[in-house]
Amino acid sequence: MRPFHPSYIIEVLPQLIPYLWVTIAMVIGTVFFGGLLGILLAMAKVRRGRIARALADVYIYITRCVPSIVMLFVVYYGLPEFLLGFGIDINHFGKGFFVIVTFTILFSSTMAEVFRAAYEAVDKGQREAAISVGLTEFQAFYRIVLPQCIVVAIPNFTNAVVNLMKEGALAYTIGLIDIMGKGQLIIGQNQGSYALEIYLALMILYWILTIVFEKGFGYLEKHLARGKKLLKAV
Amino acid sequence: MKLNTGFMAKTFLDALAGVPVTLQLTLVTLLISIPLGFFMALGRMEKKVAGRLVGGYVSFIRSTPIVVQILFLYSLLPSLLNYLIKNVLMLEFNIFQVDSRLYAYIVFSLNTTAVLSEVFRSALSTVSHGQLEAALSIGLSKGQAYWRIIIPQALVSALPNLCNTTVNLLKSTSLAFMMTVKDITAIAKINAAYGYNYIEAYLVIFAIYIVLCSVVQICFRIFEKFVAGYKAPIAN
Repeated sequence: MRPFHPSYIIEVLPQLIPYLWVTIAMVIGTVFFGGLLGILLAMAKVRRGRIARALADVYIYITRCVPSIVMLFVVYYGLPEFLLGFGIDINHFGKGFFVIVTFTILFSSTMAEVFRAAYEAVDKGQREAAISVGLTEFQAFYRIVLPQCIVVAIPNFTNAVVNLMKEGALAYTIGLIDIMGKGQLIIGQNQGSYALEIYLALMILYWILTIVFEKGFGYLEKHLARGKKLLKAV
Repeated sequence: MKLNTGFMAKTFLDALAGVPVTLQLTLVTLLISIPLGFFMALGRMEKKVAGRLVGGYVSFIRSTPIVVQILFLYSLLPSLLNYLIKNVLMLEFNIFQVDSRLYAYIVFSLNTTAVLSEVFRSALSTVSHGQLEAALSIGLSKGQAYWRIIIPQALVSALPNLCNTTVNLLKSTSLAFMMTVKDITAIAKINAAYGYNYIEAYLVIFAIYIVLCSVVQICFRIFEKFVAGYKAPIAN
């Protein structure tokens, strides 16, 4: 039986916590770019253009079928070679760049589905009513439809972000030093001892992060849904 | 960008030998986790203390990355099992000779059970409680009521999520190479290491996974039609 020292879990936490910001920055960067791409894909799916919709469908289908680790390595090894063909050299770019590109590709297809479902959940009459009282198309979307979409989208969005954070742990395989990468480095420095304690510490950190995300978005949802509650009360 | 097509063709053929392993990992895991997940969902809906425990387990599993679970269990289980077999069960059995697929089954089952318990919980809650009461009132036992009345109805709403879970499971079995299981990813990676043809190898894995996921989705589509068959006369 290998030795187990629960106290080491607490000892190692201060070494891991400084790298939390890498994990969080990866999530924020991916949510930003993936969200933008997701909006474009969702628009392609909702609008009538047939070619755009077919392209978006193929993109979403393919990206959903590929394991993140495979996508990560395809981007990490393939993208620099591919761009070199066009005379662009990105071999010196940091690892964070490749991680964000990979997860943007994967996250955007989830986001596209989330946004599309949320957009379709809002009744068409809302937009028509808004236009009939004299709002422009943009105002109707921005002031009437969008606030309702966001409330519908939040639970799925939270799930997607939590999944993204979990998949993000794979970034250590290409050498990004986030909490997972740092954990692996410490295990390496210890020549393999205390591995169990470090993995437990990592699990606890991820668990806490997930709960924080879920609670935070849950609070946001309640806050944004307050308009709906009033309607129910009446 | 030049791809070594000869290498890709060779790796593709080699990696096909890993397809049965990947499918086996997926199927065995599903066979273990579907019943476990179902009973966990029931436990969470009915019993209070058990429900709490299951809730904690599900929350923990679902909020930690599967890589960490794999690395944790793969460094814990072999020595723990060895200790249990040698000192508690007093058997002369060398656990270190067992195929590492055993650990893959354990890790993926632990993970998928948690996900499936949520899937089944939401599916069971779509069937109205009156169905169970009606079934019990005409004299079916509880087991019969679930098997004949509740499950066929819950399955219809569970299948899309079950399909998603299966696809996700299939994708996460690509991490089994960390436990030295020789699946598609592992074979392609080993081939790539000879001549540093990583791009080609990963593109091959990429293609194989798209095909596999498509097959899984088509199977579920057919099964869905079959299961939802009892609804068809009403729709007409």
